[in-house]
Amino acid sequence: MVGKLHRHPWYVASALLVPWLTLASPTLLRLSGAPPSWSVLWLLPWAISDGPVSGALAGLGLGLLLDALTLDGATQIPALVLLGWWWGRLGRKGPPIERSFSLGLLALIGTFLLGLTLILQRLGLPPQLPLAGSLRTLLTQTLLTGLLAPMICSLLLLLWRQQNAPSRG
Amino acid sequence: MPFGRLPRVPSLQRLIQAWPWWLLLLALVGVRLSKGAVLTDAYALLSRPFWPGTAQREWLQSAQQLDQRSRLAQLEQDNRRLRTLLGLQRANPQEVTAAVISREPEGWWKQLVLGAGELQGIRLGDAVVGPGGLVGRVASVTPTTARVALLTDSSSRVGVWVGRTQSMGLLTGVNGSRPELRFLVKDPQVRPGDVVVTSPASTLVPPGMSVGVIQSVDDKAVPAPTAVVQLSAPVEAIDWVQVLVQPRQAAP
Repeated sequence: MVGKLHRHPWYVASALLVPWLTLASPTLLRLSGAPPSWSVLWLLPWAISDGPVSGALAGLGLGLLLDALTLDGATQIPALVLLGWWWGRLGRKGPPIERSFSLGLLALIGTFLLGLTLILQRLGLPPQLPLAGSLRTLLTQTLLTGLLAPMICSLLLLLWRQQNAPSRG
Repeated sequence: MPFGRLPRVPSLQRLIQAWPWWLLLLALVGVRLSKGAVLTDAYALLSRPFWPGTAQREWLQSAQQLDQRSRLAQLEQDNRRLRTLLGLQRANPQEVTAAVISREPEGWWKQLVLGAGELQGIRLGDAVVGPGGLVGRVASVTPTTARVALLTDSSSRVGVWVGRTQSMGLLTGVNGSRPELRFLVKDPQVRPGDVVVTSPASTLVPPGMSVGVIQSVDDKAVPAPTAVVQLSAPVEAIDWVQVLVQPRQAAP
């Protein structure tokens, strides 16, 4: 149910890269001004490697950090917790997920759902906003994260699976 | 674990053994509640060697001097006279120059993070200007950083004025790259190309400051016409901004 990754402080500390990259927001890795969802790119391999409980808790931690770095109005916590749990379960069932296409697709769906929860929360808050701007951000961020996931998630997954491997064998 | 079965509740002893994780969770909640006070301050400290150079700062200062020289004296005089008649207070704000250390002009939150905060006198609600005009207002502050909600952010509302037709409106961020101007009258008679400035009656932001240019007008909008405004300050390119710090009133 729970892997061993969270026992390594350095791997846990690697989550700090998410707020760091969110703040630094490298220009080269933006699409039409929108950055990728760094939280999804880190959480996906972590949850697949370390299981649903660890994935959900990591989602909670990341959500708290990212909510602290953004203006008020909507939270990312519920979506990240659910995604961490879901990806953790996927990692524990069936053949291991390692194909680039699968990782890209999971990141694509995850970013889309994360963005959708933000839009839904904003629709519930007064004043009502036109959807056009939010949909543009949703689509560009989803596309960019889906494109980056095969590269970044594959590397992280490879690294973290090696840590969890002895317990499986 | 099969579907539909909830994970077993861990024993009290296991929960106690996991005390470092509870401590971590508590720390994360602390960071969340302080709106990233420790996190953004650490980021500001570590990224200081990579902050933008002084070239644009000097350019900004010379542009502002030019702007000040080119102001029409008559307009200033009229402004003062009218504000006195209206009984509006206008304190002279102090200017704090700050580097932009993080920007997100097109993400979910349209925001900037500045490398100056409470220690430099910046407070919530202070207006932030760059070359070209108003950029936004300070939305949260830590000791060494300040987060600015851009005019394009959905939380932004600023009263503005179209000088040519003398019509008032509310500039509202709609989370796109350009904010929407909602007029208060049914026939504002504006057209693309009209210049938009901050409202002369504004007490939240300095009056008469450049905001942008009307790009298109929707006359059929209900209940009043709306317009799309192209902002005059290029947020994607600005490395230095000035925060207009309002003088604080002494406690009685």
